[in-house]
Amino acid sequence: MRDEILQIDELKTCFDTRDGLVTAVDGVTLAVERGTTLGVVGESGSGKSVTFSSVMGLVKKPGFIAEGSIRFNGRELVGLDRKDLQRLRGKDIAMTMQDALTALNPAYTVSEQIVEVLLAHDDSLTGSRRAKRKQALDQALDMMRLVGIPSAETRLHDYPHQFSGGMRQRIMIAIALACRPKLLIADEPTTALDVTIQAQVLELIADIQRKLQMSVVLITHDLGVVAEYCDNVVVMYAGQVIEQGPTRDVINRPQHPYTQGLLGSIPRLSDLSRKIDPIRGTVPELKNLPTICRFMERCKRAHSSCRSRIAMQSVEADWLVRCISPGEEGKA
Amino acid sequence: MTFGKLIERIIQLIPVLLGVSLIVFIMTLLTPGDPVQIMLGDQLVTDDLERSLRRDMGLDLPPHERFFTFLANAAQGDFGTSFYHRQPVWDVIASRLPATIELSLMALLVALVTSIPLGVLAAVKKDSIYDRLATVGSLFGVSMPGFWFGILLLLLFSVHLRWLPVSGNASFASQVDPITHLLLVDALLRGRFDAFWDALKHIILPAITLGLPMTAILMRVTRASMLDVLNRDYITFAEAKGLGKFQILAKHALKNALIPTVTVAAIETGSLLGGNMVVETVFGWPGLGRLVVESIFTRNFPLIQAAVLLYAVTYVLLNFIADIIYTILNPRVKL
Amino acid sequence: MTAVDSMETAAMARSETLFGRNLRNFASNKVSVLFLFITFGFVLTAIAAPLIAPHDPNEADLFRRLLPPAWMSGGSWEFPLGCDALGRDILSRIIYGSRVSIFIGLAVILVATTIGVLAGLAAGYLKGWVDVVISRLVDILLGFPYLIFAIALIAMTGPGLQNIILALAYKEWVIPCRVVRGETLATAGAEYVEAAHALGASKSNIMLREILPNIMSPVLVVSTVRMAHVIILEASLSFLGIGVQPPTASWGSMVADGRSFMLNEWWLATFPGLAILLLVLSINVVSQGLRDAFDPKFHD
Repeated sequence: MRDEILQIDELKTCFDTRDGLVTAVDGVTLAVERGTTLGVVGESGSGKSVTFSSVMGLVKKPGFIAEGSIRFNGRELVGLDRKDLQRLRGKDIAMTMQDALTALNPAYTVSEQIVEVLLAHDDSLTGSRRAKRKQALDQALDMMRLVGIPSAETRLHDYPHQFSGGMRQRIMIAIALACRPKLLIADEPTTALDVTIQAQVLELIADIQRKLQMSVVLITHDLGVVAEYCDNVVVMYAGQVIEQGPTRDVINRPQHPYTQGLLGSIPRLSDLSRKIDPIRGTVPELKNLPTICRFMERCKRAHSSCRSRIAMQSVEADWLVRCISPGEEGKA
Repeated sequence: MTFGKLIERIIQLIPVLLGVSLIVFIMTLLTPGDPVQIMLGDQLVTDDLERSLRRDMGLDLPPHERFFTFLANAAQGDFGTSFYHRQPVWDVIASRLPATIELSLMALLVALVTSIPLGVLAAVKKDSIYDRLATVGSLFGVSMPGFWFGILLLLLFSVHLRWLPVSGNASFASQVDPITHLLLVDALLRGRFDAFWDALKHIILPAITLGLPMTAILMRVTRASMLDVLNRDYITFAEAKGLGKFQILAKHALKNALIPTVTVAAIETGSLLGGNMVVETVFGWPGLGRLVVESIFTRNFPLIQAAVLLYAVTYVLLNFIADIIYTILNPRVKL
Repeated sequence: MTAVDSMETAAMARSETLFGRNLRNFASNKVSVLFLFITFGFVLTAIAAPLIAPHDPNEADLFRRLLPPAWMSGGSWEFPLGCDALGRDILSRIIYGSRVSIFIGLAVILVATTIGVLAGLAAGYLKGWVDVVISRLVDILLGFPYLIFAIALIAMTGPGLQNIILALAYKEWVIPCRVVRGETLATAGAEYVEAAHALGASKSNIMLREILPNIMSPVLVVSTVRMAHVIILEASLSFLGIGVQPPTASWGSMVADGRSFMLNEWWLATFPGLAILLLVLSINVVSQGLRDAFDPKFHD
């Protein structure tokens, strides 16, 4: 029996906009196994971020979860009381955002921003408010050392803008991990960073994951990152999961034409002779979508039977694809 | 902000202050008629006496020298004599200044304590009926002629309901030995709560009237900046940290949202100075604004010039302070 | 030559479509359009005052002194809003008073906007010492609180329509000037401006034909919101007794005259004040509508 820390079933998240109902997440089913890293890949607008905002209970008006179930550690999160959800956030499930510069509050020192999350959740703090704050500050310093801030004790009371981009990202990770969460959702942790710093930050997350026995969701549009750091991968397109499975299998033998396209648009050093093959067209708008294959218009393999409802089908155990004629490129 | 930067900013003030003084000086040249004639009125004097008066007042000098004399005298608080009051101009102004300062500060206080909560509420409950009411209310606030609004308030609270006094800043019975010359402060310092209550009843309507446009503007600014802040990533991140709703609003959102509010408040405090004349006239407030209006009818030009210069210098300094406050509140801005 | 001509037509066509789209945006906002009609109503009233007003605004008659409005006991429909302390018809005085408010408001804004736009264009496009001189002057004039500056000028030069307009315009031009300077700085680097420059168009041509049409939207927004402000300032001057002199009817002086009667004859001060509020409010709503229509940042 598999041990899932997070299980999402048929999740549907909609936005009630002026131009009509937009279904940003349409029937997503996925799971994160305890202690592993799941990569979630897709273009912007594919619904990957909204899926995990739904998990955090952070979908803002006019958005709402229309149907589906999200179970964390066996506990249903959809419909959970706001207070209970709040107790869970930052403590058991933590999240980092794309750009630490905008995610950290410019008006408070970094120590304050770490301390407040400890004060909100850490039950091991004891004594008066002052005593608790003192203990939290000590822990904050430990966290800053853990994420590798040089001379952390002197920088504790600096403001976010006084740090470099990579250091800010580390501080955000320190905040997210301050309460030793069971699950970390890292939303595009490297997009805003220089290439050299990207690897450092990802190594840091992987390193801490091992130390803290944590499960990680890595939201990214970079399949290279997924190949390197993730055990399993979910590929999303236009609000749906179109392929999911063990990273090794999906990267080596992608079944869905979109996944193949994503891999095809990455230039590879090992194969410079190969022509880079970008995917034609753009992501469809997410309102009033017909129940046909959403990738059809951009697909080289499209034919008339793609104009029907396409269900996920199994390639191997744990490996699913949403295509009626799946298969590796050239072989289908 | 470093000390050096501060000094640099202060040095930048000098040309503006000089320019302001120059314009006030040019105003004196525009004054119709001969200052000596105005001063003498109908009195007949010898030509010699008139000439010596002219020399005493520096009127025989070329304009640029007169400007420097004017500057030098102004810097020492010497604005000449108010013949109407038979006192030095500065003494007359100084006797009226505390009442104006007290009223302006009170108006600022009223504007701040009403506009910020209302603006925050409008932003948090965006598009609700409350938000719409706040928007309509602020439109009325900026469109309301102050003198008329003051009269309506008097009509309602002083004439019909008889809750509040009609005019002035204190009742005769509740006079307090001055310390700061600010009545509310003095009353508290002397422990005279009856006098404090009396002064409060006198000041509240003028303060509301004077503060109304500012309240409307600050409410709009607070609403807009709060809406902007609530959409920022750090608010989402604070939610993701599992902080309480109140903590997010009061701590993470408000401190950032108030930066524009406080900056605009500092700038708008200058515009309170402009509203003084109207409001002090309506409420019979014994301050500088009413003194200026009276001086126009008594053709007391030295006093008007001194008052204009004082207002302008205060205004420039307030804008300077607004700048400094903005820098202090916003650690990211470097001067 | 033809190249320059076609450039110009292209530039104008572009600015026209942008401006036109903005105006269409504005027209789709029903509240703004309603208040635009109210504003026009005031303007028409001012123009047609002699035709509309039921009485001569200065015709005094002590027999009908302090006559109450028509719906109160003792009132008469001949004088719908009652009469003042000299027995003059309040409605007629309000109708004639609109002339003062609107004329001064328009005149000040017209003078100030013309000066401000030219100065702002020059400062923003020519830069150099022109910019330094204009910007310093702007800084200095901004150092004066508005009303006290106007009051001091009127105190020196004496009351009267022309002096009031000048006293207000002396400082008012600074506001459009700052806006136009900023917009010009932002626009001056645009491709079509550089293209016109490359084709040898003169500086004044570029400023007036290329840049100006493209910054009309903010100028219009600023002038409307400032006009509302100037109307309040004029009314304040008249209230203080240093605006338009009696017996000319102006709303501010009507409120001032009615002040001493507010205990019993509340209508003297109330109706003219209401007129100011309604006109200023209408202009402010229109201005807000223009801003919403012109500035994409204000859309959701």
